[in-house]
Amino acid sequence: MTSHAIAPARRPPLTPFRLWVAGLVVLIVAGLVGAFYVLRYGLAVTNLTDQVPWGLWITLDLSAIALGAGAFTFSAVVYLLKVRRFEPVARLAVFIGFLGYSAAMMALVMDIGRPDRFWHPLIFWNVHSVLWEITWCVILYFTILLVEFVPTLVDSPAFDTRPRLRRLGHSLHRFTPLAAVFGLALSLLHQSSLGATYGVLSGRAIWFKPSLPVMFIISAVAGGTALTLLATLLTGKLSRRRYVSDELRHSMARLTGFALLAYLYLKLWDWAATSYYAHSPGTADALARLAVTSPYQSTFWWFEVLLAGVIPAVILLAARLRRDDRLLMMALGLIVAGVVVNRWNVTLSGLVAPPHWSPGVLGNVTAAAYFPSPVEIAVALGIIGYALLAFTLGARYLPLFPHGEQ
Amino acid sequence: MSADEPRPEKKPSALLTRRDFLIIAGATVGAAALSQIVIAGPLSADAVSGIERHGAASGAHEWHMGIDLDRCIGCQYCIWACQATNDVVKDSMRWNIGFWDRTANGAEFFMTRPCLHCAEAPCVKVCPVGATWIREDGIVAMDYERCIGCRYCEVACPYDARRFNWAAPDGDNALDRVWGAAEVERRPRGVVEKCTFCVHRIDRGLAEGLVPGVDPQATPACVVACPVGARVFGDIHDPDSPISAFLRDNDTFRLREDFGTEPKVHYVRPGRDTEEPS
Repeated sequence: MTSHAIAPARRPPLTPFRLWVAGLVVLIVAGLVGAFYVLRYGLAVTNLTDQVPWGLWITLDLSAIALGAGAFTFSAVVYLLKVRRFEPVARLAVFIGFLGYSAAMMALVMDIGRPDRFWHPLIFWNVHSVLWEITWCVILYFTILLVEFVPTLVDSPAFDTRPRLRRLGHSLHRFTPLAAVFGLALSLLHQSSLGATYGVLSGRAIWFKPSLPVMFIISAVAGGTALTLLATLLTGKLSRRRYVSDELRHSMARLTGFALLAYLYLKLWDWAATSYYAHSPGTADALARLAVTSPYQSTFWWFEVLLAGVIPAVILLAARLRRDDRLLMMALGLIVAGVVVNRWNVTLSGLVAPPHWSPGVLGNVTAAAYFPSPVEIAVALGIIGYALLAFTLGARYLPLFPHGEQ
Repeated sequence: MSADEPRPEKKPSALLTRRDFLIIAGATVGAAALSQIVIAGPLSADAVSGIERHGAASGAHEWHMGIDLDRCIGCQYCIWACQATNDVVKDSMRWNIGFWDRTANGAEFFMTRPCLHCAEAPCVKVCPVGATWIREDGIVAMDYERCIGCRYCEVACPYDARRFNWAAPDGDNALDRVWGAAEVERRPRGVVEKCTFCVHRIDRGLAEGLVPGVDPQATPACVVACPVGARVFGDIHDPDSPISAFLRDNDTFRLREDFGTEPKVHYVRPGRDTEEPS
């Protein structure tokens, strides 16, 4: 045999890489134990209740899908708008999208009460449900990501000895423009519909607004492109290579910065129109209750708006600031964290402060508290561990940057 | 002249050929058509299970409930009768909930709430698999065999009327026999459930020629159990039904009409005693 199969070393040295991988494997094992508990004992092992039926896992899959938005953004920019200078990061963006969507689907399967019926939305249609539309879009888009990902896979050294499979994989290349069109359409649909999941619920004033779908997709573009650039820079730093030219890096930073600016603009008006220039009774009531029972207000203003919004926007759009590697990576990291905090805040705000419906003054609507249970946390960490491990191995063994060093 | 100009070279490898496009388009349309045949045709799950699904109340009957909060004495019989009849084991899973509340001018009253069976039910709209739907008679029904347990309906319902089976409902129903025997099957773990307006009684009663709202065997358990007649039920299309009389004789309101949900449960305001002392 002439292949360079890695022979198991008798005593593997504890390199940082191996420690990192070992740590991720520990997370995955914890996640599997958690998943066993969920499947064995049902969702009673979570801290979810009838008042707060969605929590950490929904936040995880909303975030994973949003942060996977770099895939459709860069595919559309490169293959539809023909802006070829972004091509060196297209593969990486698709790979991250693939990991994000697969992670989201894992979280969803854990979250539904009957995982054995996960296929029901495909057979039993309710076209009036945004969740039905999302399910279809996510499944179709995941297929597209798979098609877009195969050429990367067959280019890996593992396929050196299988030229026929490699040719077959490459034949999918001709579908790239088509995949980009469908990917764009599907993403525009479901990335917004995820916001509409909350935005269409007329009974919950803090959610019921047409701005939510738009804010979801724009924040997803900002978060997805931010994560793509962050992953590119990190991979380059750790492997001591330069995968993107300064010019591309600045283009990507500017793209992210402008998306973030658009998001902040909408967010400003969303707040001003409902809570400053007008009095919306349901929203005001919910916000007042959230202010005394949860850290919603402070995380909204300090984290979502300032730390993950204004500050990174300034860094990304000021040429002198974004030239600094550390500052740039910090800004990108804050945007990614901001997407997660936002999805948590949006989800929990409508549930923790439910509407008052009794004709009396007391009602029985008490603000519910929610903090995920150990099993919920273990499963979430396991899914994050999977995504990080797959990314680590991909960055090491897959030709994610076919254009090589710049 | 134009013949001299070299035409831009085609790159068939990067483009989709017409043939490919036709194959893909054909397959997509074919798959969609096939799925529609499977869903809507004689092979559909609805046809097989005999369930009829409709978008809105359009049948001969339309069931509504009336709750007189001024007459209610807070005995909680309606809550227990519901739990026994529908075999709801845990108190936290109650379909018909109740609690003491106070009006703005200080009058205490007992607030109770079944599922309101909204004509514009948010829970029905959001269900990704159509496991909950509005029957011809207006009842918001559930199909426990189809529900995937995503709980979007719970999130969508602004009245907190839905309950999820976080665990398998184990153990004896303490209220069984005292407040009535269980008349329906227990729901499995992992699905959402809610008040059905005792639809099993209505359907069986009609088949036997009884009148729901009048004959106890054909009337929701909570209505039958009420010792003071604070709950009434019936067909809103029938002018002689108890609910029609209730709506004629009382000044009624529905919960949070501003939500646009069009509930089918009508309330009489509490605290009239304090306004007009007798």
